Amino acid sequence: MSFDLKGTLKPLTALKQFGQKPHTLTNVPFIPREAADRYRGLHYNNLDECIGCGNCSTICQNQAIDMIPVDGIEGKNGDSGLRPRVDHGRCCWCGLCVDVCPTGSLSLTKDYVYVSEDANSFLWTPGVDNPEGDERVSFFSTKETSLNDLGRIPMPELEGMERIKSFAEVVLGYNEEQARAEASRCISCGLCTEACPEHMHIPEYINAIAGGNDEDAVRIIYDNNPLPEMCGKVCTRRCEDICAIAHRGDPIAIRWLKRYATETVENADLLKEIINPEIKEPNGFKVGIIGAGPSGLTAAYYLALKGFDCTIYEANSKAGGMTMYGIPRYRFPEDSLDKQIEYIQKIGVRIHFNTKVGKDISFGEIYHNYDAVFMGVGFPKPWTLGIEGEELHGSIQAVNFLYEINNGKKVDIGNKVIVIGGGNVAIDAARVSARLGADVTILYRRRVQDMPADWEEIEGAEAEGIHIISQAIPIQFHGDEKGHITTVEYLKAEMVPDEHGGRPKPIAIEGSNTVIEVTAVLGAIGQQGDYSFLEEEFDEKVKIERGRIVVNEKQETTLNKLFAGGDSANRIADAISAIADGYRAVKGIEELLMKGK
Amino acid sequence: MMMEEIKTTIIDRIKLHFSDAVEKEFSYNRLDFSVKKETVPSILFYLKEEMGFKHLSHISCVDWLEEGEFEMIFILWSPEEKIKVFIHTRVDRSNPVMDNIDMIWRQANTYEREMKEMYGIQFTGLEAPEEFLLEDWNGPPPMRRDFDTEAYAAKTYWERPGREDALDVRETVEKRTGEVLPEFAKKYKR
Repeated sequence: MSFDLKGTLKPLTALKQFGQKPHTLTNVPFIPREAADRYRGLHYNNLDECIGCGNCSTICQNQAIDMIPVDGIEGKNGDSGLRPRVDHGRCCWCGLCVDVCPTGSLSLTKDYVYVSEDANSFLWTPGVDNPEGDERVSFFSTKETSLNDLGRIPMPELEGMERIKSFAEVVLGYNEEQARAEASRCISCGLCTEACPEHMHIPEYINAIAGGNDEDAVRIIYDNNPLPEMCGKVCTRRCEDICAIAHRGDPIAIRWLKRYATETVENADLLKEIINPEIKEPNGFKVGIIGAGPSGLTAAYYLALKGFDCTIYEANSKAGGMTMYGIPRYRFPEDSLDKQIEYIQKIGVRIHFNTKVGKDISFGEIYHNYDAVFMGVGFPKPWTLGIEGEELHGSIQAVNFLYEINNGKKVDIGNKVIVIGGGNVAIDAARVSARLGADVTILYRRRVQDMPADWEEIEGAEAEGIHIISQAIPIQFHGDEKGHITTVEYLKAEMVPDEHGGRPKPIAIEGSNTVIEVTAVLGAIGQQGDYSFLEEEFDEKVKIERGRIVVNEKQETTLNKLFAGGDSANRIADAISAIADGYRAVKGIEELLMKGK
Repeated sequence: MMMEEIKTTIIDRIKLHFSDAVEKEFSYNRLDFSVKKETVPSILFYLKEEMGFKHLSHISCVDWLEEGEFEMIFILWSPEEKIKVFIHTRVDRSNPVMDNIDMIWRQANTYEREMKEMYGIQFTGLEAPEEFLLEDWNGPPPMRRDFDTEAYAAKTYWERPGREDALDVRETVEKRTGEVLPEFAKKYKR
């Protein structure tokens, strides 16, 4: 090969540039080019919107995301308190973490320049370490782009006007295919377990259903709830209120899925076979339980599993307490509890029905005959309005009305009924009245959105043709000469903001008197306890405050070896918190009696 | 000629020459054929040389894991007729061998290198450097559906120090509420 003179000299001509101002480094310091609109750069997390569900961490195929506690963020109901920290050295910028974020708090920014001599500094927490990132967000998820399944599988129901023809159950239940599809929407974060008073193992049983393992789901459910068929139908489901998916979509139908799982088991024998509970040898202790409501049944079931000899005294002919006698049949058919009660009896719990404590047996006798006593006596007595005309014939208390109807009795309410109140009892009474053929109106002193009743119940009532008059305060009932109620007089109210920051208060507008004709009025403004069965010697020792029995964190009352739970002991006053009370009392009773054994 | 007529003509001619071709029509200017893999080079050559499909737009692959097959898709474009034709074929997943077609379109060479690296498909007679996009790759072809990205990442990359304090969301909430998750339920955790 000959010597290439040209090839050797030509590069040297570049030397003429030497000493000239460089063209390529005019942007000193370096200014990066603006990235594209949907650029996937460094992460940003809106710390207030984030609920710490950890879905980003789970999806990350490079295991680049950890969940860690962050200063200034407290865990609370609906928020784990953890926030994602990203190892940006591992991230491949696929953006899946953003696509599966249920709140949409996590995003990627246009920032792509990150230079450091310390590779470990690539580990940082979006939002905490780059608070300015919110102005640079470019890749984010919306309801439309989200990979979360935001829409609930609709529950088959009877059509609105078809419902009021009978007391047939309105909700028909998911079939297998619907249940699997609904369960598959769950992201298993488990935040819901904190909202559940009983802390049921929700993500685990939903996962079991999603995977087609219904029997495992039943086992997991019965681990801390012996009345899941009841909860599956009528639970107040606080879990669904804080469901991660509910931030942008419909919450997972946790209640309906529990119902589905329990309904796959046909009878009590099969139930016992599937759960196959470990029942301990009798330990010689006897526990007496007053009231076969949710709290009493729960206490009895788990105590019996631990080898205690349990006897329940129940005033009515069926177990279930307020759920059996207060909730109408179209929500909770009479046979709903049969399988569960039979199962609880099969593992050794005795129930004496039609035995009212204070009448058929004294409290003292029970207290002295048992090593410990649990009381779940509920709130049987309705509050009255305290207005003129309440004693008129046709002015009825809603709980008494529901009790009579559920017992198969007839109550004459005529064809024009007013229900007073905004809770679930009021809605139940209204919907039952509609089924008896009456034209029904609900009077509520606040706004519809303030009603404590379930929104589904309110919607259900409206679908069944029930009118709601909100911001209406009844002041007097008028009657005819025979003492029968004829009209209700009420004042309209305006909502006044509460100066102490509470919810707005209804204040009656003077002179706004309105009169409606009625054939009956059903009062549903709440219930209270009735402790008249406690003989004097105990009455003094059991501390009661504002109508509720005072208990400690183990459900222990101020009287030795007496425990209490349910509506008469907790302020939430729903079935699942009663179950939680019963479950806690089991630990309390076990500790008390098994001390030193 | 209307698009429908063009499509009918193409279908007639293809089926006359390639008896194993099964057509599937899509709306507007798309037309698909499925053929045996042995037919692929000749049908592509015919479409290019005889029917004006001069442009190879793309070669793609789908992993039909459950069916034990890969699907190869060749997308051609006719600049005159403004119509695209998709040629589909299935390849045995346990022995994924295809004919090299880069003598028909030179740019097929690049796509074939990608298919080889990402899906592990062998092209008979393909002349190309061993590596394409993945440097020093020692794992299975990563676009295969049975490739476990998470397990690969865990095995391949070291854990950066300072990450030991990570917490599990479910356990954090459990601890706070006092919930006791029974042993048999744990397999259903996320």
